[in-house]
Amino acid sequence: MATMIAALQRLSSPPVQTLRTLQPTQATVSYTVSTRPEAKTVTAKVRFYTGIALRILVGVAVALLAWTKWCASREKPVVALSWTLGDTRSEKLLQSVSRLPWRYLIPASLCSVYLALRRGYTEESLVVLRGLGLQTSTTSSIYLRTPTTRFIPTTSVQDVFIHEAFKGFEIRFYLAVVVREEEDVVVVFPRMLPRRGILEEVWRGSRRCLWEDTESGKGKGRTREDA
Amino acid sequence: MPYNIAMVSDNFYPQPGGVESHIYQLSSKLINRGHKVIVITHAFKGRKGVRYLTNGLKVYYVPFWTVYRETTFPTVFSFFPIFRNIVIREQIEIVHGHASLSNLCNEAILHARTMGLYTVFTDHSLFGFADAGSILTNKLLKFTLSDVDHVICVSHTCKENCVLRASLDPLMVSVIPNAVVAENFRPLSHHSSDPRRNNVPGPPQPLGPDDTITIVAIMRLFYNKGVDLLIAAIPRVLASHPNVRFIVAGTGPKAIDLEQMIETNVLQDRILLLGAVRHEEVRDVMVQGHIFLNPSLTEAFGTVIVEAASCGLYVVCTRVGGVPEVLPNHMTEFAAPEEDDIVAATGRAIAKLREGKVRTDLFHGQVKQMYSWTDVAGRTERVYDGVVGAVGSEDFYGGDAAHGHPGVRSFALIDRLKRYYGCGIWAGKLFCLCAVVDYLLFIILEIFAPRSRIDICRNWPKKVLGRGEVKTTDMAEEAEAILRKRDMRRRGSE
Repeated sequence: MATMIAALQRLSSPPVQTLRTLQPTQATVSYTVSTRPEAKTVTAKVRFYTGIALRILVGVAVALLAWTKWCASREKPVVALSWTLGDTRSEKLLQSVSRLPWRYLIPASLCSVYLALRRGYTEESLVVLRGLGLQTSTTSSIYLRTPTTRFIPTTSVQDVFIHEAFKGFEIRFYLAVVVREEEDVVVVFPRMLPRRGILEEVWRGSRRCLWEDTESGKGKGRTREDA
Repeated sequence: MPYNIAMVSDNFYPQPGGVESHIYQLSSKLINRGHKVIVITHAFKGRKGVRYLTNGLKVYYVPFWTVYRETTFPTVFSFFPIFRNIVIREQIEIVHGHASLSNLCNEAILHARTMGLYTVFTDHSLFGFADAGSILTNKLLKFTLSDVDHVICVSHTCKENCVLRASLDPLMVSVIPNAVVAENFRPLSHHSSDPRRNNVPGPPQPLGPDDTITIVAIMRLFYNKGVDLLIAAIPRVLASHPNVRFIVAGTGPKAIDLEQMIETNVLQDRILLLGAVRHEEVRDVMVQGHIFLNPSLTEAFGTVIVEAASCGLYVVCTRVGGVPEVLPNHMTEFAAPEEDDIVAATGRAIAKLREGKVRTDLFHGQVKQMYSWTDVAGRTERVYDGVVGAVGSEDFYGGDAAHGHPGVRSFALIDRLKRYYGCGIWAGKLFCLCAVVDYLLFIILEIFAPRSRIDICRNWPKKVLGRGEVKTTDMAEEAEAILRKRDMRRRGSE
């Protein structure tokens, strides 16, 4: 019973989120929250690179298949194929490919291309540059597409705060940036909505980075000392 | 011992009303006493999410579907996931529900018991027993209250009503009246405006026979507030008393009837309709008048009467519900809830004022000593102590009455089912079913949304008072208590 409950809990649990901080100078800091497990051991690294290789392989295979199918439908001898495989084998291949109907081939190849391009994780980041501003970014769900980013110059940043909101059947903390002359706040890490511990670290760090020497950051927002 | 308390009700600000201000005042005073209090209510138009009010009172406006007079639709279990989330993240120990018509409150008490939390319920209103609506509400109340730790009523009439409706053990029900913030309801200071009086203490000048007397009526214009009586009585009062005018404030479905009455009788110059008035502005309306008229048909306590008396108005009110308990006799003129009697009582009140028999200038001080929220919070805290078991049951229930009263009610499912089963032949089984489903839901939630995945909130940072400061406030409170006791004794001997 207990093991079953534990298994159910594990199955229904969301992926683990990790925070990576990069602070090359005092005035620059980048926070990245990611569900991608960090590859530290050799096996993990090997698994990671094999995954990428597999994805490329699948992509290339699908492209090749589509190309041969197209060649077969033209019913002309294909020079490239007979070069690489020899005449008899290329003939056989073209015959077998032409037997595949388009209506199965197209959905299947689209599906496998999507699977190959799909990013198995989400990564969201906040970059703070003192004197310039801050930039939020969210990775897209598939490779090849650029992440959604938003840059807010320091002059427009009114405040950075943590608050709570209803999301589905629960209440989540979120980190938000108040932008001058804009009605809605900009939520940092909008897709992941990391837990409070991570948010507080990012909140403290980004405020320190943005307003440390002016001391105005101290009075703004709530001081959260007691736990 | 500080507690973490969640007040749950459908009624809360920004909606105006007595229950709303009760919750707010009680919460802020409990916070002053060192407890942590949050309020859970449903989302209002343009107000959704989590908000902080003065003093670090946190309010959860839960998005919910409202059906009737800002009450949510009764779905027995749908509130559970969010409620559980809130309770866990705020580390709540005591769930305190308000208002029996509030579906949110009923659900919260059921779920809180399932989760093994202490529950307290405050009843603010009186209900009938005869019509279909009341029977249904009473059954629902019985369901909720058959497994609640303690009930608080705002007046003795309310307690009687509640005990009968929900078949409760009277020992389980305490009476803690409402209070008013007397500072917010000060009468106009005549000293500054009237140069003739010249700051001499003593009775004010009686009103002359030709001076205009203003009668104020402030209510939400619903049937149960007695708007129909008001509409019937106003033309008759105005016909028999020439130098009288009315100020009526408030909105509601009956507003149209009121306007019709004014137009039929051509009384536009003698009745001032103000429409909706914010709670902060009530005092400014009240001090314009001399008499406060409250024709309510049912009233558990009637905070508005106390507010009016605190503003120095002579009160004419119907003798219904808990109203007679609220103010001493010299401040009020009672009437039966019927047209003729209200007209007669208003006439008596006008005559008394013209004779200068009523010392309305003293009302404010008297009310201030009778009612204070600090006192209410102290007594509520004692109820919490009793519920949690910090005060022994002998102390809490008193002497030999405590026999058979365990200090803390058992949370075991079987004990809860026993309590529900006694509610009725069919209802008992239905309630048991609900309780069991609720428990199963709880287990499912524990599996699929385990506690480890819910972040605990940080508490509002409290100001740490210096040792000396605490001492002074204590002493001031003690002095206040002594004064109040003396006043009670004096009133008793009268």
